[in-house]
Order: sequence, then C-alpha cells, then structure tokens
Amino acid sequence: MLIQSSNPLNGSALIFPALECIHIVGFALSIGTIAILDFRLLGLGLKRQSVAELAKDLAPWTLAGLAIMLLSGPAMFSSDPDMYYLNISFQIKMVLLLLAIVFNYTIHRRVTLKGALPQQSKLVACVSLALWMGVMAGGLFIGFVGDAIPR
Amino acid sequence: MSPLSFAQWIQSTGFFTDLRGSAYVYPIILTIHLMGIALFGGMILLVDVRLLGLGMRRYSVSDLVNQLRPLKWIGFIVMIICGLLMAGCKAEEYYYNTFFWTKMSLLALVGVHALVFHRGVYSNTAALDAALTMPGQAKLAAALSLLLWTGLVIAGRGIGYIEPPLDKIHAHLFANPGSLPRVL
Repeated sequence: MLIQSSNPLNGSALIFPALECIHIVGFALSIGTIAILDFRLLGLGLKRQSVAELAKDLAPWTLAGLAIMLLSGPAMFSSDPDMYYLNISFQIKMVLLLLAIVFNYTIHRRVTLKGALPQQSKLVACVSLALWMGVMAGGLFIGFVGDAIPR
Repeated sequence: MSPLSFAQWIQSTGFFTDLRGSAYVYPIILTIHLMGIALFGGMILLVDVRLLGLGMRRYSVSDLVNQLRPLKWIGFIVMIICGLLMAGCKAEEYYYNTFFWTKMSLLALVGVHALVFHRGVYSNTAALDAALTMPGQAKLAAALSLLLWTGLVIAGRGIGYIEPPLDKIHAHLFANPGSLPRVL
C-alpha cells in the first residue's frame, strides 16, 4: 500500500500504457531474438551462419531486450503490487520467467554455443519456445484473471 | 453497406458472437497475436539495425533479408489472422475507436513503405552489400520502419484503453438519426 500511494507512476494516466509499450518492445527484442535462435536450431531461418555464431551475435540484443523488460515490468508491478501478488496468472508467469531465464543462460546457452545432437538441439529449442510462450501468455492473462476467469 | 453496418453485421455473426462470449478464447488469440509481434518485431528490429549499421554487421544485408523472409511471413500472417479475429469480435466498438483507425492507417503506411522501398532496398540487397557505405535510402527505410512499427505497438496497445460507450451511442443515434455523437 505504501509503495502504491506514494508511487509517482500512479500520478499520470499515461505512464502505465507507456510502460506497457516499452515492455512490448523489450520482449519483441529479447523473445524475438531467442525465437530466431530456436528456429535456427529447428533448421529454419539464418542457416548460412553456424548456430554458435548466431548465438554470439544475438546475445547482446537478447540481453538488451531482457533489461528493458526487467526494468519496465517491476515498474508496472509497483503500480498495484497487491493485485499482482494475488493474481494467479502473475504467479505462474513469475515461475515461468525464472525457469525461462535460467534455462536460457544454462542449457540453452550451452547447446547453442557448444553444439549438441540434432534431437537434443531440437528438444532444447522447443522447451525454450514453450517457456517463453508461457511467459507471454501468463503476462497477458493477468488482465483477464478475476474478470471472467476465476482467481 | 456502410462501414458501420458492416461492422455491426460481422460482429453479430454466430462465429464472432461465440468468440466474444468465451472467457478464454479472446486472451488466447491476443497472446498468439503478441507471439507474432515478438517473432516478427524481433526480425524487423534486426534488419533495421543492420541497415542502420548499429549491429549484426557480420551478416550481409542479403543474408538477413533473404533468410529471414519466410519466418517474417509466418509471423506476419499469424499477426494478421489474430488481428482480424479480434477486430471481428468487437467490430462496432472499434469503429468508434480512434486508436483502431490510427493503427489501420499506420498499417496502410507500412504497405506504402514496402512499395516505396522494395525496389531500392529490400530486393536490392546485393547492391547494398557491395556499396562502400550504406546508401541513405536504406538508412531512411530502416529509420521509418522502426518508427512505423513502434507506432503500431503504441496504437495497438491504445485500442484496449478506449471503450466507446456503445449503449450511449445507440441511444444518441436513436434520438438523432443520422448524426454521429462525438466520441473521445
């Protein structure tokens, strides 16, 4: 409550939608580049370059996008922490986000930089895509939970 | 058939009535729409930063543009299909939504952008790669593309913030046939 009432973010009706737009650009950059890499693992897209090369070249863009998301996200959270904290979709999203980030910088990173058997690579790509799709769905459903869908 | 009566008709069809009535289908379509944005937007950004010389410089423009083309089309078609489904659900409401028309105008400008720069930039990548410095036209295309797509994200998000009061509009139209109320 304390954060909420004194939070300058709640001072203007335009700040929250602006943060949402920044958040969308952030995930287009981060999840977009991760997806490009996953599609490469699945044999689609930038095939002239090796997976490792592509992974190295995309890494700074992924990180920049993640930074944008992880700055705009908590700012949005701070506008109404009680609501988010109790929102089942938000809770699921946070678990998936943690899993997705850890997966991205451990197994996914290892497979893209060092290589793996084709089947393993494809499995890793699918898991990565599924985790990030889950994160997006979780984020989007925050606004729909409690309305028509029970908490 | 006027655009308004078309909008009223399309959202009253059984398909879109069912879609609107479901608690889960609409957010799921919106989620897939956003996945299209992540995939498509990510690729647009990469090509644009390459054209502007800000990144991805180990790749030739030809490699990026040509190899990403099929994935871009997949992302674009997914976005358009989901967009049409969502627009159909709330067609009459969107008819009165300024952000919706802003977004449609920006989409039309994306089409114009593609037409204008197709010959000189996007199907001319071999010449861009051979040039010593990136031609101004290519940089202009990239800068405008970034602006247009950022504008599309903003307008798209804005659509959800406007809820035209359809019952008030209907009451106004019933009392004053032929005169549209000022919305917004």
